[in-house]
Amino acid sequence: MKIAIFPPNSLILADLVERKGHEPLVLQKEIRKKVTDPEIDSPPFNITEDEPIKGLKYAAIEVPSGVRGRMAIFGPLIEEAEAAIIMEDAPFGFGCIGCARTNELCMFVLRKQGIPVLELHYPETREETMEVVNQINTFLDNLESEDKEGGD
Amino acid sequence: MSEEDEVTRMVILGPAAQVSQSQVVGELHMLELPLTIKSTCYGAVVHGKEEDVMKAIQEIRKLDPANIFTKDRGFPPGDPRRCRAKRGGAREGFHQLEKEFELLGYVGEALEWPEPVILKKHSKISPEEFKKIAEECEP
Repeated sequence: MKIAIFPPNSLILADLVERKGHEPLVLQKEIRKKVTDPEIDSPPFNITEDEPIKGLKYAAIEVPSGVRGRMAIFGPLIEEAEAAIIMEDAPFGFGCIGCARTNELCMFVLRKQGIPVLELHYPETREETMEVVNQINTFLDNLESEDKEGGD
Repeated sequence: MSEEDEVTRMVILGPAAQVSQSQVVGELHMLELPLTIKSTCYGAVVHGKEEDVMKAIQEIRKLDPANIFTKDRGFPPGDPRRCRAKRGGAREGFHQLEKEFELLGYVGEALEWPEPVILKKHSKISPEEFKKIAEECEP
């Protein structure tokens, strides 16, 4: 199954999803398309004027172009998702996910998709981390069994 | 092979890993796959055709399944837009990796000794119950 993760560049989430045989929908795959595309001739300006236009599908015109530009990349990932794991309160400036409004919009769109969603808080301690890992693994195992039942 | 068919993967060793970076790089070379392998402070970066990279990742995980983590990377290794040698300062994404590295030891521990948990489903509360809680909270 294709699992959307949030933050979409999280090492822990992507690794755990992959360990269970699912496909994590990570941001890096979308970024790779941008940075290795021969048509884009002036990197690192990989976001062209087309992106905010594509982002209009997810956010209104009044929304800052930065949010719409980001949504042009996150949106297709969210649409592909068959399930999602959201880890809230990730440390500020978590990688390139530095835009709080885009984060809120992404989480909103994920919740509105009608897919199974596991919501967690970013762990800070040993106990919290172990609980989070066990919860993610249980969630992924349940998805597998649901998938098999659905297939039969 | 076009550049678009190639993928880059980061191999990250957890703090409790039983293997060193050089061992990982050595093992990757021993697989004799057509890959670009770069040794880094956190482990290694592997770049090449997707099927070769995934095969290498599967093999390298066997060294220490609970403490070897992998992650996709958008930029190829040594890309001047990201490489520290060209631009100076920490690479974008390094701080995030540093932050997540703090938890990798516990993640490895949880993977080695999994425990059953019950996933709590939050149900909506009734307006009466909400009213009661609000009244209780009033000073």
